[in-house]
Amino acid sequence: MLDKLLPLLQLCDSNFPSGAFSHSFGFETYIYNEKINNEKTFREALCAYIRTQLTYIDGLACRLTYDFLQKQSKDDVWRLNEILAALCLARETREGTRMIGERMWKLCREIYPFEIWNDDKEKRDYIHPAIVFAIVCDHLEIPKDITVLSYLYTSVQTLVQNAVRGIPLGQTDGQKLLVFVQPYLIEAVQTIDALTEEDLGAVTPGLEIAQMQHEQLSVRLFMS
Amino acid sequence: MNWSGLLQCTAVEKNGRTIVSDCYYEGAFKLARPIYLHPSQPTIYLMHVGGGYVDGDRYKTEISLQKQARMIVTTQSATKIYKTVKTPVQQYTSFSLNDQSVLEFFPDPVIAYEKAKFYQETTVYMKESATFIYGDIITPGWSESGGLFRYDWIRSKLKIYHEGHLKLFDHLYLEPRKGITGIFKMEGYTYIGSLFVVSPLITKDVLKKFEKIAAHFPNEAHFGWSTPVVPGLVVRILARETYIIEVIFQLIHQLIREECFQEEPIFLRKY
Repeated sequence: MLDKLLPLLQLCDSNFPSGAFSHSFGFETYIYNEKINNEKTFREALCAYIRTQLTYIDGLACRLTYDFLQKQSKDDVWRLNEILAALCLARETREGTRMIGERMWKLCREIYPFEIWNDDKEKRDYIHPAIVFAIVCDHLEIPKDITVLSYLYTSVQTLVQNAVRGIPLGQTDGQKLLVFVQPYLIEAVQTIDALTEEDLGAVTPGLEIAQMQHEQLSVRLFMS
Repeated sequence: MNWSGLLQCTAVEKNGRTIVSDCYYEGAFKLARPIYLHPSQPTIYLMHVGGGYVDGDRYKTEISLQKQARMIVTTQSATKIYKTVKTPVQQYTSFSLNDQSVLEFFPDPVIAYEKAKFYQETTVYMKESATFIYGDIITPGWSESGGLFRYDWIRSKLKIYHEGHLKLFDHLYLEPRKGITGIFKMEGYTYIGSLFVVSPLITKDVLKKFEKIAAHFPNEAHFGWSTPVVPGLVVRILARETYIIEVIFQLIHQLIREECFQEEPIFLRKY
């Protein structure tokens, strides 16, 4: 397990240059409208985000990709990628996710010589970051539940960092939150494990509206 | 397997006028004669001859528009889903839109009553030159005690295949027991309206005009809009009354008819 820990730490490091720190995925709209304006309101929103978006889209996409790779069905991975692109109706969030996915793809391709990167024959104009993350973890033989949990953690970590800058919150508050959410992340992994592809993408209208409204915000720290 | 209601129909364009050429229905579904609210575009009213959808019901509607056909599709009344103890009610609707056809689909709201479970899946297979406009409203339902959101769950999926590729997928899942009113969810509102437009005629210019009218949408509505991967427009609305959503749908529908087709607005009078 020692040899698997280091690559995982690297992949989950907040310094890993995926560009995720430029995106708030709709949170900035709530900050702008002062619905999220302190540690308490952010914490509640973060828990709701884990139970909705992260469970039914990002986390489930990561788990499904891992399952497909285990079954050697790469076609299903690309089909899932197409669904994920079609699923995100808010343009900025879709573009943001695409940019992060692309950067991760390029970077991971440089650092890990996997065969699957060459599978990119027909030019893909979209790649979801959850898919790249699952590809790397599958190849490094990191167990599935740890893969999904790590992916959820990186997503939450980015949001917390962004909240520290955007709301703003204290650095210590941010770190306390990362401890606070741990049971929620473990619960999410268990929920995700029991879901099927039919559950993929069950969005919540409020968050989606916030992601859409972000396009029209007059003052913005984040790209989405 | 038998359907509780099945409806199939095809619209064709003949000498500048669309006619409903083929029509078949069985079970609880029925189609009245098309009404020409517009001289060349028929409006069809999907009818359910029972009082509403009950346990285990399965419905299927297949509508096909041939080249250049234009049709407006609505329902005669709200889709009511009653208590479903055993098997969820399932409703499958599919549209095939050939080159330059135009489908405007505005069903009445879905009302799910206490303990209802409802699965609806709408699939569109369209050509790049076709236009698809769809407005959908989900109400909170109510129970004898007067409480809102007493249904078990509603799952509504929309899949739009554009030249054979999935380009728009919407998946709305509402399960009140797990909390529905709070942040990211209904945000304290009760009604959801979703409007989807996929059309090559939705240009930047039309979007600019849309943005102007959106600035004057009723204050009571909480809404957002964006553009999908293919040319089009998506609008999601939260409100506390159905008619607020209907007003917004009407404004957008009117704008699209005027700007994309140079047509007068259509009013789907029913009551």
